[in-house]
Amino acid sequence: MEGFNAAFFNELDKLRKKKKIFWAALISILAVIIGQLAITMIKNGFGLRVAGGLEFPITVLSIFIYSILPLFTAFVAIDMFCGEFSSNHMKITLARPVSRLGIFSAKILNIGVFILVNLGFVMVVSLVSGLIFNPSSGNLMSFIKIILAYASTMLPVFVLALLIVFLSNLLKNGLAVFFLSVILYVGMIFLSIVFSSYSSFFLTSMFDWYTLWISDSPNYMKITRQFLIMVGCSIMFFTAGYALFDKKDL
Amino acid sequence: MEKAIVIDGLTKVYKNGRGIWDISLEVDQGEIFGFLGPNGAGKTTAMKIMTGLMRADSGDVRIFGASISQNYVQAMKHVGCLIETAESYPYLTAYENLKLFSRYYPEVDDKRIEECLQITGMLKYKKEKAKRFSLGMKQRLGIAAAILSRPRVLILDEPLNGLDVEGMIEMRKLIKGLAGEDKTTFFISSHLIHDVELTCTKIGVIYGGRLTNVDDTRNILSNYSTLENFFISEVDRNGRV
Repeated sequence: MEGFNAAFFNELDKLRKKKKIFWAALISILAVIIGQLAITMIKNGFGLRVAGGLEFPITVLSIFIYSILPLFTAFVAIDMFCGEFSSNHMKITLARPVSRLGIFSAKILNIGVFILVNLGFVMVVSLVSGLIFNPSSGNLMSFIKIILAYASTMLPVFVLALLIVFLSNLLKNGLAVFFLSVILYVGMIFLSIVFSSYSSFFLTSMFDWYTLWISDSPNYMKITRQFLIMVGCSIMFFTAGYALFDKKDL
Repeated sequence: MEKAIVIDGLTKVYKNGRGIWDISLEVDQGEIFGFLGPNGAGKTTAMKIMTGLMRADSGDVRIFGASISQNYVQAMKHVGCLIETAESYPYLTAYENLKLFSRYYPEVDDKRIEECLQITGMLKYKKEKAKRFSLGMKQRLGIAAAILSRPRVLILDEPLNGLDVEGMIEMRKLIKGLAGEDKTTFFISSHLIHDVELTCTKIGVIYGGRLTNVDDTRNILSNYSTLENFFISEVDRNGRV
């Protein structure tokens, strides 16, 4: 994959310079602060303990993974493909000595970096916020569990991103991709509730994968099974997305 | 003379029935090839296939022997291009845009980026974001991006688009200079036929998606008073057919 390194660092540069990253960071901070204020108010007003200092990041993650993270991941994924095709910026990259597989892989890897950085950022902000507002005697184990929970969340969101990338290469209109992604996302959540026995077929049911990792007695069989399902989905979405990207005429 | 560009039986048909059929031609190293044709004749389609932005239904393009369809990366190492419109990332400065492109060419350093900005008259705007650029400035930046890697082949679709008179004269000088000193090969499409006459050493006319004539500019001008007359006679002849 000649030219992959150049394409990867170019995509990273472009991602850094876009305003979406600023908004993603700002909204993430605001969400954490609002969440923290709500917990503090409930604690002081009603005397109820919602989450302690080191439980707060996990509480934040359980909301963040179903709301802000998929939303901004969708924005970034759609912008990288539909956005660049519609604004004619894709041809700047395509007419260079780099294969389409190199460009596609570089873009996918950058979406992965975005998810990882976003998760890391929210983890640090929520950890700091949790410890400031609710200082408690957390131990090393609970700290490791927080890192494990945030790190393991990367995979299901990355699979969702690959699905959105596939849709971005299937349809030309970014808005259509966004709404289709929202409909699919809500539909999957709804179906996994209604048909709970078949929930493992729906990608969104994998979003609480992190709970398996941080439980006191981890079910390694279930972790492995869900991991293999997600890897299988990733390979399918990546291949289908690339097949469409490779055939695109500008 | 080494063949810089070999186009062999290039065919691409769109869903609406338009396209190009069986285009074959050769351009020698150091030649400035002018690709002429009315709107919708298929010039941009051919140039998009030549730069890998579009796949041909059949036929192939070889740049210094490397096939665009089989060995794209190797073929594009020799090519600089400007197709349809000069695009740049609006949220990046002129310098940052070129810095991004330079990553694909290990031999291009900051000095070369400054040199290209200087050549195209964009050095004084190097720290300005591209979103504030006029059409002509974007075109100049597009040309700077095309020549950045000192390519052996430059494929330029309407390179004079949006340039002022001074810019057009500078561009003409640049093309002639690179073809003469560096033996750079040019494949240019333009509607400004007077400029093509002054710049190009070989002319190809495309009409209705088919290549109707390829000849040296000198031969054409020995039979016709101007290139415009030749072009009109070609279009008339093929229009009647």
